[in-house]
Amino acid sequence: MVSTDPQIWIAAFLTLAATSYAFRDNKVFKFAENIFIGVAAGHLVVMGVKNIRDYGWAHLAQGEIIYAVVFLLGILLYTRYHKEYYWLYRYPIAFLVGNGIGISIRAAIHSDFTVQIAQTASPLIASDAMGTINNIILFIGVVTALSHFIFTYEGMHQGVLGYAPKVGRWMILLALGASFGNTVMTRFGMYQGRVVFLLREWLQII
Amino acid sequence: MDVPREVIMALVLISMIIPALNPLGLPLMVGDMSRAWYRTVDELPEGSVILFDIAFGSGGYPSLGPGTIAAFHQMFEKGHKIIMMATDLEGSMMYPLIMDSVKPEQNYGAVYGEDWVFFGYIAGGQTAMAGILGDIRALVSTDYQGNDIDSLAVMDGVNGADDFDLVASITTSGDIAEGWVYQGYSQYNRPVIGGCLSMMTTSIKPYYDTGQLLGLMDGIKGAADLEFLTKHPGDAIVSSDILSFSQTLVLIFIAVGNIAYWIQKGGNS
Repeated sequence: MVSTDPQIWIAAFLTLAATSYAFRDNKVFKFAENIFIGVAAGHLVVMGVKNIRDYGWAHLAQGEIIYAVVFLLGILLYTRYHKEYYWLYRYPIAFLVGNGIGISIRAAIHSDFTVQIAQTASPLIASDAMGTINNIILFIGVVTALSHFIFTYEGMHQGVLGYAPKVGRWMILLALGASFGNTVMTRFGMYQGRVVFLLREWLQII
Repeated sequence: MDVPREVIMALVLISMIIPALNPLGLPLMVGDMSRAWYRTVDELPEGSVILFDIAFGSGGYPSLGPGTIAAFHQMFEKGHKIIMMATDLEGSMMYPLIMDSVKPEQNYGAVYGEDWVFFGYIAGGQTAMAGILGDIRALVSTDYQGNDIDSLAVMDGVNGADDFDLVASITTSGDIAEGWVYQGYSQYNRPVIGGCLSMMTTSIKPYYDTGQLLGLMDGIKGAADLEFLTKHPGDAIVSSDILSFSQTLVLIFIAVGNIAYWIQKGGNS
């Protein structure tokens, strides 16, 4: 029995309209696309205002004067639309970039370099055979993939040494293949979620 | 030789409808990463405080929603306190959808404000993470419903990173997944678990391999594993059959495409 809930019908219609693009671009798809953009933009504005109110204005109203600087920086972002004072928007941008880098750089170096290098340099022999095989593959993969990007020493890509970058390229291709396979799975996962919705919530046949 | 995309699309659709109508009941092999997620939550003492970031929107819901629901079932069942937030703009729209499925009051006798709280969307990515882990009250004064957080029992004694026994995030964004590793693990040395789309797994898994993530829920597959482990079967287990069936079709497409290519190439030469 088909659902009688108008919300389900709207969701079902928009699902079908959005997926109709897979067959051909059409007006129904455009309609769904425009609705999505409109709703997303509206939601963005509401959430933006809510964030300003909850995480900015609330503090300023409690007497935390430093938040006036935050508001000033926020307002300066809009000077980019002014022909004469557009340069002022660079200050909040500089603040945002500096703040972002300052917060993440130490942790990024630790997580992405120190810990990863330490793990790669760990003993090849693990407690079980599978672990040992994994370690060997990891070690060969890292060394050969890195060698593929050594361009300053010509000898690296010639003679016996030349095998290492070639193996490295295969390793990179294998990694890209795994990544692409996972991407296909993710897209199918998203689509099947809507198919299940149509069959269960809308048509109610499963 | 080009196969019209309408034909491929129709075949994909059929390959999803068949197992949805007649579940095949294909065996589910639980992966190590999901098992590690489950074990990490399971081994926490009752009443532990978990910071949970719902960092996905409607696009990611079919893949990550079921896993988030299973994760909350386990956390509420174990009697943990959950501080929820969203670093994704649409996270606050996903929160009611998830809670409608988990039903913590009904199923576990949990009470909003005593056992869990939701802060809503906090802009800023890693800046927001650093703010929450550094000093919650300097950043957040009210929850999503506008209640003063000091009036909520769940927030008693919870001020920053040291008060969280676990940091968890489920996200469609690589920046957010990495951000929690950077801030949670590297900056504040907290145990961190993460969930992500399958397409992100190859870039996020190195954090799991190096122990920076104690558990990793890998898209719909990880969600199905978690539903199985928590004994709360849901959409992900249903999806496993559909995905196995439809992706077999993809393998057939790839094989047929390659064979056709080589035959064509042989004919041309």
